[in-house]
Amino acid sequence: MKIESITESQSHSDISPEALLLCSIVYAFTVSMSDSFYALSFSSVMPLLLILRFRFILSSLVKLNAFNLVMIITLAVTWPSLAEGIMKGLTIAFKVNMIYIFFGTLIYPMGYAKIFSAMNGLKVPEKLRVLLLLTLRGIFILHNRFSSALISLRLRAPNLHGMMKFRAFAYITASVLLQSSERSESMMYAIKSRGGFSGFIQSEQKKFRVQEVIACLCFMFYASAIIILNYA
Amino acid sequence: MHISEGVLSGTALIAGWAGTVTCTAIGLRKTDTSKIVRTALLSSSFFLASLVNIRIGPSSTHLSLLAPVGLILGWSSFPAMLVALFLQAILFHFGGLVVLGANTFIMGTPALIVYVVFGKMIRSENKIFSGIMAFISGALAVMIGACLAGIFLGISDRNFFEAAKILFYAHIPLALIEGIVTSFMIMFLKRVSPEFLS
Repeated sequence: MKIESITESQSHSDISPEALLLCSIVYAFTVSMSDSFYALSFSSVMPLLLILRFRFILSSLVKLNAFNLVMIITLAVTWPSLAEGIMKGLTIAFKVNMIYIFFGTLIYPMGYAKIFSAMNGLKVPEKLRVLLLLTLRGIFILHNRFSSALISLRLRAPNLHGMMKFRAFAYITASVLLQSSERSESMMYAIKSRGGFSGFIQSEQKKFRVQEVIACLCFMFYASAIIILNYA
Repeated sequence: MHISEGVLSGTALIAGWAGTVTCTAIGLRKTDTSKIVRTALLSSSFFLASLVNIRIGPSSTHLSLLAPVGLILGWSSFPAMLVALFLQAILFHFGGLVVLGANTFIMGTPALIVYVVFGKMIRSENKIFSGIMAFISGALAVMIGACLAGIFLGISDRNFFEAAKILFYAHIPLALIEGIVTSFMIMFLKRVSPEFLS
């Protein structure tokens, strides 16, 4: 994925980002804590329905499972018994897939703007949200400057090796940080002169609609059923 | 060092979140609004460092810049790590949102430890001494992170310890590179802009 493409929102849901984020986190916690066969089987119902609705997730699941294969082999080799290691690896791979389908279809396609808005709705501290926005801004600035610096380094010294390579990387990182820091400090003065952080993040505080409350309640019943099946 | 979703048990997840929430709250309280831009910039550099691959023989790894973040930010490194790891989880699907607590604790604690232990030493007037200390802090931060990842895996299931050992040994070359890069970075910052380290 390219840095430039991360701002696009491809959300297909009518439910508010707050409700989706809340439900997804509850689901992921529930699945992470479950170990029984029945609980995990029941937890797969909703991700399977999501796959039917959002088929685009299938291609990224292939990549994810390539990584899972490495993890299963590692556990099979390091676990006291081969069979138990494979079983543990498969259980983890199953959980990873379920959680990934949930987040990959409902949360990740929202784009950062909707996720930030959800965080505002979920009362995340303002300082942390400001830091998140400034970090995202910093990523774009540093990425541009860092890429240009790396290109010029490759042009001037295409065959850098060993210590010289690490020194060049360290100097580029430090000088890019210093340049960006100067620019960001001036931006900070501008924010301060406009009255500080008040209103820096303009996001509407929305109340949950009736259908969202019903959806959340249904989801909580689903999560509770998984927990009950796990301990039954 | 990112632990993936589904690996950790409930106890490990709760322990990770408890540690992260506490340290982030302290970090946010100690972060002055005038320093928030610098915190964001170092958080961004931590995010971007993970996208730059460095070849080691047939394999490749990426830097984390844990020590520079810790040495410059101190307590603020916890909110910085939390934000960077959150963005990595939602944008590149590294780690995940549920394991974010554990991953932040694994990355934030080494940054904080090197700040407490080496913070004053790297600001010493003796350039060679501060360079050596920066190298040690860079290498140590990676190894502490690998140990913490092993501890979290061990809390989840004791049988993970063998896999955790492999994780630890795999991080030794990265620790050496991280130490070298940290040392050069700190020396450069001390020479060009000492106030950045103040």
